[in-house]
Amino acid sequence: MNDPDRLEQPWRLWASVAILSVFAFSVLFGFVLMPVMQGRAAGIDAFEAICRALGITPGSPAARQPTTNAKAQPATRVAWSADLLNSLTKATAAGESLAGSCAGCHGRDGRAVEVKLYPDLAGQSAAAIYKQLHDFKTGSRPSALMTPMVQALTEEQMVAVSAHFAAFPVRPIPAAQLPAAGAAIEGLVARGDSGRGMPACNACHGDQSGGPTEAPRLSRQSREYLAAQLRAFKTGERRNDIYSRMRSVAAPLTESEIDGLALFYASTRTY
Amino acid sequence: MLVTHARQLTFAHLWLAFLAFAVALVLGVWQMWARSPLPAPFVTASTYFSAVTAHGTAMAYVMPVFMIMGFGYYVAETALDRPLPAPRWAWSAFALGLAGALMATVTIFSGRAAVLFTFYPPLTASVFFYLGLVMVVAASWIWCVLMMVAMAQWKRANPGRPVPLAMFATVANAVMWLWTTIGVAAELLFQVIPAALGLKAQLDVGLSRTLFSWTLHAIVYFWLIPSYIAFYTMVPQAAGGRLYSDTMGRLTFILFLIYSLPVGLHHLLMDPQQSNAFKFLQVALTALVSVPTLLTVFTIGASLEIAGRLRGGRGLLGWIGALPWDRPLVLATGLAFLMLGFGGFGGLVNMSYGMNAMVHNTSWVTAHFHLIFGGTVVIMYFAIAYAIWPAVTGRAAPSLAAQRLQLWLWFAGMLVMTLPWHYLGLLGQWRRVATFNYADPIIAGWGPWVVVSLIGGVILLGSGLLFVLNLLQFNVSREPHAAAPGELYASAVHPPARVPAALNGFRLWNALVLVLMILAYGYPIAQFFVGDSPQALVHRVDERR
Repeated sequence: MNDPDRLEQPWRLWASVAILSVFAFSVLFGFVLMPVMQGRAAGIDAFEAICRALGITPGSPAARQPTTNAKAQPATRVAWSADLLNSLTKATAAGESLAGSCAGCHGRDGRAVEVKLYPDLAGQSAAAIYKQLHDFKTGSRPSALMTPMVQALTEEQMVAVSAHFAAFPVRPIPAAQLPAAGAAIEGLVARGDSGRGMPACNACHGDQSGGPTEAPRLSRQSREYLAAQLRAFKTGERRNDIYSRMRSVAAPLTESEIDGLALFYASTRTY
Repeated sequence: MLVTHARQLTFAHLWLAFLAFAVALVLGVWQMWARSPLPAPFVTASTYFSAVTAHGTAMAYVMPVFMIMGFGYYVAETALDRPLPAPRWAWSAFALGLAGALMATVTIFSGRAAVLFTFYPPLTASVFFYLGLVMVVAASWIWCVLMMVAMAQWKRANPGRPVPLAMFATVANAVMWLWTTIGVAAELLFQVIPAALGLKAQLDVGLSRTLFSWTLHAIVYFWLIPSYIAFYTMVPQAAGGRLYSDTMGRLTFILFLIYSLPVGLHHLLMDPQQSNAFKFLQVALTALVSVPTLLTVFTIGASLEIAGRLRGGRGLLGWIGALPWDRPLVLATGLAFLMLGFGGFGGLVNMSYGMNAMVHNTSWVTAHFHLIFGGTVVIMYFAIAYAIWPAVTGRAAPSLAAQRLQLWLWFAGMLVMTLPWHYLGLLGQWRRVATFNYADPIIAGWGPWVVVSLIGGVILLGSGLLFVLNLLQFNVSREPHAAAPGELYASAVHPPARVPAALNGFRLWNALVLVLMILAYGYPIAQFFVGDSPQALVHRVDERR
């Protein structure tokens, strides 16, 4: 026993054998026996079942791939990509020349000429503007005014005009003209109402990003415009929100809550 | 017997660990309160998720890393009976880890890192959060190297002698931790941090979840091994007996090293990016973790039986009553084993594909890891601290009764908190959720159980504060501590004179881990590079509008 090799060799050998046999058993069982048996029950041939078990071909070895003829009807056709989001951060000369035709309602500098009817675009997130333009164009958000306006715009032009308006500074808040919205409304904003299954507005529209890419900033839009949009979501007249997020949030709101929330956002600085 | 550098190192590391623990405990109770039907203050979704992030970061990274580092320094000096090599490096690691922990904490509390401690890419927090955690992990890497150097120096000075079991196990943990952190380090350095810096606009979530799974199971064993070191080396001595088998101990720690790593896919059983066969393979390997667990239950049971019979216990079970349950380390071991029983049962459910599918996104899972980690592991952290504090502070414990009360409260609180929590999971209560709508008739029925669970949390908070108080009591104690710290460790019934190199080092086992990791994780990771893999847009949670 003084020869170190005689003491060591069995350890090296048997430890490796034990561990590799456990491994071999698992491979035999998990990679071959189980998928073949599961595949046979589901009418999938052995080779395909093993490929599926390994993840080389998609699907489960235990079930046929489900098929459907249903046509998807998305709430919006916007598909976000890194390139798209990147291009939305760059204001260009093309955007400026296109913006002339928007100025009649939304103002040269993105401040709406009639705030009760039209939203401010100045300082709005470019992704939010782009999403709405895209939805007007595809019919996800039909509008007698906007849909004809954007029909002629190409993808690049929509990006350019969104980036253009997003770059303007936000409208200064009118000093002390609006009454405070009250604690109940602030509670809705910060915490929602679990009793009615309503998440906090802040979950998406908070002063920190964290919501969906297209979530718009709300502060300093007019009370009238905000309230009109909430009512449109509540009645289902507006339906371009993915997963019907806004429709489900707006549905349980009372009329006075809608007005209160609109007042809150119109009179606050950072949302 | 020698405690030189370790005295201050252990003192500093453990206090930092327990301060993080105390803060996280308060947050934990508030989180349970927020989820209960009782009206809690400050509750918004963002405060809740920031709190969960802080709680998880403190409890999963900061507290155990500093606890394990501090305990490791202590073991390295007391078990090897040599001064720690390069104490300056140990202090630098402490400073680095402390700076990292503070950086992560400030980032979380400024509301820029609500991504939870498991990160959930493509959610992306402020880069300072991740860098802070990288600094904590880098500190632990320095510790790993120091532990390996300490053992190597001892072996050179003592050729042919077996490394003391406590140190062998500590180095097993260090080696395992180096393997463990490769996954999360790759995820952070190549995916998440570039995204947080704005260098990447999208990342492959399938890959990042797979890399995190590499870390996610082994980290649990990193937390657990100090408890097992206490079971094997300190508890038989505290009970007045001997360790039944030194070889069983070595095998246990080696098996943990091998089988805690190639098993992480069992955390991804519900994830679509990994295939059935590789999930099966890793679940089969997971099942083998039961081997070192059962070896331990047997060996420690046998060691305690020896102690009980030496103390006059008779008959089949009479030795149990004869054990010195008034000693905190023995009491904690009994309570830890009970919690390990419940928690182990829950774990078997989690690793079983079909049953996991039912509980995967429910509170069952949260309850399970609180019971195992917060229960079995942390109660042994308390007992270890009580056991080594006399040598660290040089004072005797003022009141063992207060220590026992604290341990009992922790045990009771943990069961009161986690058993209803498991049940809520079976009822379908989902996890990762800030608040519940108790007006819903289905959810309303959960309310009373959530309140019971909250009461358990309050008991735990009381116990945790009592623990901090008990440690502070050492500082007011006037009675100097007499016993030498080396008396902590039990000798084996048959002390090993000579062990094969395989049981005295890690070369063979590292080779086997490498083979197993290539086989078990090779394709599951390579698939993201050989084929087209979908990328997700980075979603920042730290920007102000």
